Amino acid sequence: MTQSVSTPEPVRTVRKVRKPSLGDRLAEQIPRLVVSPTLLIAVVFIYGFMLWTLVLSFSNSRILPSYGFIGLQNYERLFGNERWTVAITNLAIYGVLFVVICLAIGLLLAILLDQKIRAEGFLRTVYLYPMALSFIVTGTVWKWLLNPTVGIQRFVRELGFEDFRFDWLVNSDMSIYTIVIAAVWQSSGFVMALFLAGLRGVDDSIIKAAQIDGASRITIYTRIIIPSLRPVFFSAIIMLSHIAIKSFDLALALTGGGPGFSSDLPAIFMYQFSFTRGQMGVGAASAIIMLMGVMAILIPYLYSELRVKKDDR
Amino acid sequence: MANLHIDNVHKSFGDTHILKGINMDIADGEFIILVGPSGCGKSTLMNCIAGLEQATTGRIIIEDEDVTEAMPKDRDIAMVFQSYALYPNMNVWKNIAFGLEIRKMPKDEIASTVERVADLLQIRPLLKRKPSQLSGGQRQRVAMGRALARDPKIFLFDEPLSNLDAKLRVEMRTEIKKLHQRLKTTIVYVTHDQIEAMTLANRIAVMKDGMIQQFGSPQEVYDEPVNLFVAGFMGSPSMNFIRCKVMEHQGEAHIRMEVDGKDYNLPIPKQEQAVRQRIGQTVILGIRPEQITHVIPQQDAGPNMASVDGKIIVTEPTGADTLTLIRMNDQEVNCRVHPREAKEPGETMTFMINMDKAIFFDPETEDRII
Ligand SMILES: Nc1ncnc2c1ncn2[C@@H]1O[C@H](COP(=O)(O)OP(=O)(O)OP(=O)(O)O)[C@@H](O)[C@H]1O
Ligand SMILES: [Mg+2]
Repeated sequence: MTQSVSTPEPVRTVRKVRKPSLGDRLAEQIPRLVVSPTLLIAVVFIYGFMLWTLVLSFSNSRILPSYGFIGLQNYERLFGNERWTVAITNLAIYGVLFVVICLAIGLLLAILLDQKIRAEGFLRTVYLYPMALSFIVTGTVWKWLLNPTVGIQRFVRELGFEDFRFDWLVNSDMSIYTIVIAAVWQSSGFVMALFLAGLRGVDDSIIKAAQIDGASRITIYTRIIIPSLRPVFFSAIIMLSHIAIKSFDLALALTGGGPGFSSDLPAIFMYQFSFTRGQMGVGAASAIIMLMGVMAILIPYLYSELRVKKDDR
Repeated sequence: MANLHIDNVHKSFGDTHILKGINMDIADGEFIILVGPSGCGKSTLMNCIAGLEQATTGRIIIEDEDVTEAMPKDRDIAMVFQSYALYPNMNVWKNIAFGLEIRKMPKDEIASTVERVADLLQIRPLLKRKPSQLSGGQRQRVAMGRALARDPKIFLFDEPLSNLDAKLRVEMRTEIKKLHQRLKTTIVYVTHDQIEAMTLANRIAVMKDGMIQQFGSPQEVYDEPVNLFVAGFMGSPSMNFIRCKVMEHQGEAHIRMEVDGKDYNLPIPKQEQAVRQRIGQTVILGIRPEQITHVIPQQDAGPNMASVDGKIIVTEPTGADTLTLIRMNDQEVNCRVHPREAKEPGETMTFMINMDKAIFFDPETEDRII
């Protein structure tokens, strides 16, 4: 080591690596080339139409689009409309109940299924099955079930309980809750699957440690397992709330917004004003309000997701 | 503080039998080390003691009370898991405090206990962190802390120091020993570390394939192993096993040993009467590396001392000693010599064998000949 100090550093010859050929560079770009048409279509038909809707919401469009600028008049008319207020209130009731009940039932089912019971695979499929149906089918089936003259009410009356009443579907105070029932039936199995996956991810030895520490089964769930499912709660809430906001087909098939407009939701309102009642401007304004609602939920979600990714690196 | 009695415990998972009749009688305040190769069922036995696994048959008795059917929380045991098993949603402080809260300890007492344990394990700066923000060794100390915060009847430690660096491991080992001397709580402790086993244990249980091979004091297990497995498992570097014949020489039984073309007759110590009967038979001579050394003047005169000239094949300096490999009866033998006395590979040196410490095994049964 010491003698090398006096000898001069040998001159190193370094070979240059050959530059990538045109073919190589083309191959590198292929993924981008393949994706770009789809990207273009997506940009035009999703973001382009969003923009167009925004423009229409400030225009004097009636049956057909027209482009006379009328400022915020459409929005004023929208919020002056009693039907819109009902729709918004309904969405709040429906959204909150739907999300909370789905989470509760999904979590409960997942915990029950996680007790190493037999036939778990079969039960899981049973609970997941409603997911496979479209909301239209769910709506139609529940419409029959909830119809007082053919469904549950008649069935129970035939059992001998003559005074039994279950007429929420035709009761304008209660009709929104029938949508909650059908939507919960359809979506809670999916939430259960999410929670079950989360529960399976909990290390068995953590539960053992808690048992040694003296915790009861309930304490183990409430203090350790459920808190560690926080990310699952988060994704479930996001998914459920966007299902809730865009619920259109279910409400249309089940109640059609009725009786009257008692179970109207913003999506139904938007559809009817834009396409059947010739008030495209007001319809577009309601669509923009809904978009803002979705963004209010999604942007914090995306933000936190992306931030977590960065932390992981 | 409690005695622990394990009575003929069997454990099967379906068709695989993991524990095959474990019997242990552990007195109040004993420090028991459980050693054995990976997969022999040590963790399973710990789980059975803790009540996390139900023994298939047999009984577990703690403090003269049959707890075979009792829930883990009613057994009053604290355990350190091999996989740490920290609560991921709680910070270190809460992890340690959780068991105390569940057991309804007053708040200020919890705080002082957590701090005491954190100081003991040098994790005070970590108290606010979540387990995911800790290194393996730090997690392991938190897992230790969670157990040490409690004052249980029995501590179960499943390889609690395996992930610590050498210095910290020695420190923690000393802390555990001090702690045991102070608290006098019964401890069952699994380790793969020979030194930990020898230094900490009141008694060592050597397990293999779900059975206890030997259960005795460290010195007993080291000096008087009951079979080939125990002899080979305890001690590092492990004991030399040399197949050799018992021969009659000058009217006495001797071991015939060939070293680099020369035959030697090694004495058989008086206490090994059973071996002396086996003239003409093959036995396995077990002798630890430290009993084959360079010639030490004044010590080479005893009746059971022998010396042989061997050609060194390989040397491995460990610092304190140099391990030298020679061939006896065409089998490799490790010898432990002073670094200054060690010669180079290829050279021949004279080794002194202390046959007083030699033990013998039956090649068929692999049990010690007694
Ligand atoms: N729940 C289980 N089901 C089936 N087999 C199991 C189960 N738990 C453990 N085993 C098996 O039991 C044997 C003993 O496992 P155990 O964890 O007790 O080994 P160990 O002695 O602690 O090993 P190590 O030193 O590697 O920790 C292993 O062969 C393992 O595969
Ligand atoms: Mg283990």
